[in-house]
Amino acid sequence: MNLILVGINHRTAPLEVREKLWMSDDEIKACVKQYYNNVLSECFILSTCNRTELYGVIPSSESNGVDVNHTIEQIAQSLIEFKSAGNTIKRKHLYTFGTLPAAKHLLKVAAGIDSMVLGDVQILHQLREHFLLADETQTTGMILHRLVQTASRVGKRTRHETHITAGAVSVSYAAVELAIKIFADIESKSVMLIGAGETGELTAKLLVSRGIKNVFVTNRTRSKAEELTTALGGTVVEWDSFVSVIPTMDIVISSVTSPNYILTKEQLEQVRKQKQQKTLFVIDIGVPRNIEPAVNEIENVFLHDLDSLTHIVDQTMYKRKTEIPKVNEIIFEELKEFYEWMEALEVVPTIKDLRSHFENVRQEEVGRLVHRFSDKEKELVDTITKRIVNRLLHDPTIGLKEENKQNREEKSKTQQIVRRLFGLKPTTTISNDFIETEDN
Amino acid sequence: MKSVLDGITVALPLLYFGTALVYGLSFFQDNVAAKKVKTPFLLVTLFVHFFYLIARTIEFNHPPITTVFEIMTVIAFSLATSYRIIEFRTQIKNTGFFILIVALLLQIISAFFIQDLIEVKAILRSNLLGFHVISAIAGISAFSISAVYGILYLMLYHNIKKNRFGIIYQNLPNLEKLEKMAMVAVSVGFVLLTIAILVGGVWLVRAVENYSPFDPKVIGTLVVWLLYGAGLIGQKSFGWKGRRIMVLSISGFAAAFLSLTLINMYLSGFHNFF
Repeated sequence: MNLILVGINHRTAPLEVREKLWMSDDEIKACVKQYYNNVLSECFILSTCNRTELYGVIPSSESNGVDVNHTIEQIAQSLIEFKSAGNTIKRKHLYTFGTLPAAKHLLKVAAGIDSMVLGDVQILHQLREHFLLADETQTTGMILHRLVQTASRVGKRTRHETHITAGAVSVSYAAVELAIKIFADIESKSVMLIGAGETGELTAKLLVSRGIKNVFVTNRTRSKAEELTTALGGTVVEWDSFVSVIPTMDIVISSVTSPNYILTKEQLEQVRKQKQQKTLFVIDIGVPRNIEPAVNEIENVFLHDLDSLTHIVDQTMYKRKTEIPKVNEIIFEELKEFYEWMEALEVVPTIKDLRSHFENVRQEEVGRLVHRFSDKEKELVDTITKRIVNRLLHDPTIGLKEENKQNREEKSKTQQIVRRLFGLKPTTTISNDFIETEDN
Repeated sequence: MKSVLDGITVALPLLYFGTALVYGLSFFQDNVAAKKVKTPFLLVTLFVHFFYLIARTIEFNHPPITTVFEIMTVIAFSLATSYRIIEFRTQIKNTGFFILIVALLLQIISAFFIQDLIEVKAILRSNLLGFHVISAIAGISAFSISAVYGILYLMLYHNIKKNRFGIIYQNLPNLEKLEKMAMVAVSVGFVLLTIAILVGGVWLVRAVENYSPFDPKVIGTLVVWLLYGAGLIGQKSFGWKGRRIMVLSISGFAAAFLSLTLINMYLSGFHNFF
């Protein structure tokens, strides 16, 4: 039995190439069915905007005397053909891994360290969803179930035991993180969005998702402000009077295109006379900057522009990178356990073949003499011969299971001897070529 | 018993050092093991300290409030206990280092100079005085905590203003929470100090014949009381918030500290019993 992986991701192909292999839920279902009926005994596909990966199990009978690498190449080609993407996707865009590297890759994906944004939390959810699709299509089995369970555990452990997902990875999130570092009960705060810039709107949306209900929007063009209040909820403030409303706000997000400052230190000091002590967090995402930098000198006013927010994002990425060794440790622990489990499975086909061989012999011999017995005697003969076979196979079965404790070579040798002695077809174990993991 | 007490006198600063160390490792190094053991470590230290204070009271037949070094160990205990209550109530476990480092300093000084005083001046054998001292100690502990949170507030305030997003930024609770914690401590401290002043006044009239209302310690304490009172009125009536109120809380503590130490050391008055 060999686990295989054929995939494309943001490291091996640009967006315009990898999007050609992206699959909808229906396509995933159709595709896994196609492989399940042909070369694979288990199969599931993970397809997101940054990767499409097919995980499959080549059964022992298929592996028997067949070059596994050849099968993988065939799957890679047919995957491209399935999406009719031969003109765009070349073989070099795809990566292929065997058992252990394939398992290790999925664990890295689940941990978020193979994602475009290091520590991505969405991928684990997508992995579970897409596995469920294959599960519904009944193309999954014991090995992929175990693998995805292991991957889920890695995902959970990395989130709890490391800081790989901590911090903000976009300017909008950084602004929200700062707001949370200033205010305790963010839900009760008031926010004003100045302008209709995309990042500003996204920041306001994130704040609303955090529970802020008092939202005010102002824009030079009133209709645009109205559009935004429809999307965010809240009230429109007239452009001419927005400065006078600022003292009642806790958070101000500005993202307008303007050659001059739309708010100066002097203006803000003037309007804050009555509420000098109120804490105000001003987020200036405009380029060129919308708010006079000296505003930051006013007591209890915190001004942050694009540069300082980007600085937070950079710091998060740096901190996440330093967490990778801890994540790799978790992956190593879980991979070891998975591999030991896979190895234990290796003797199962031999035991199955042995039992099936004995049962065939029993049935043949009983069948040959069956006409000499009455119906009652037939039942008795059946029971007795079954018991004989079971007793004869009891010790060899235990012995083979015990072989799991031996090293790979010993285990393989014993299995080959048993197969030769009883005339069973030879089988392959997990190919050695598939055990070495990739270096990265 | 005496040798046990001597042993604990040496062990307590070490225990406080260990506790402050694990809290420090947890805050500055993000150490996972330190995070797990810090609270149990603090509880063990508090238990040993509590036993120490009770044992001293039994052994020397008076509560440990008769010398400045006895009072220091009580303040250290009071600070650490108050912190544990705050930690338990708010589930904010990142500020312990800054409080426990103060407790450690007080405990070190106390351990070096504390004496086994069996004979206590007659004037100090009074329940009323005991009540006065305990409320004053608890009040000072509350002010110390408010000052520590005030300092942490200012540190975070300047970090955010100056775009420094390092350990302080990452590990401290948010500004509003720090301000709230400091202000709760100020309110508690103010009530306790008020009680200490009132009870002290009643005791003074009864116990000291020729007392002077212009005693430096009394004046000092009243200044501290007025400072905190003004701060609380400013907060409630004039909406003083943020940086200003935190600076005031730190100034209040500085005044309280001066009143406790410098006045006691350099100016004479009826309040010098030890």
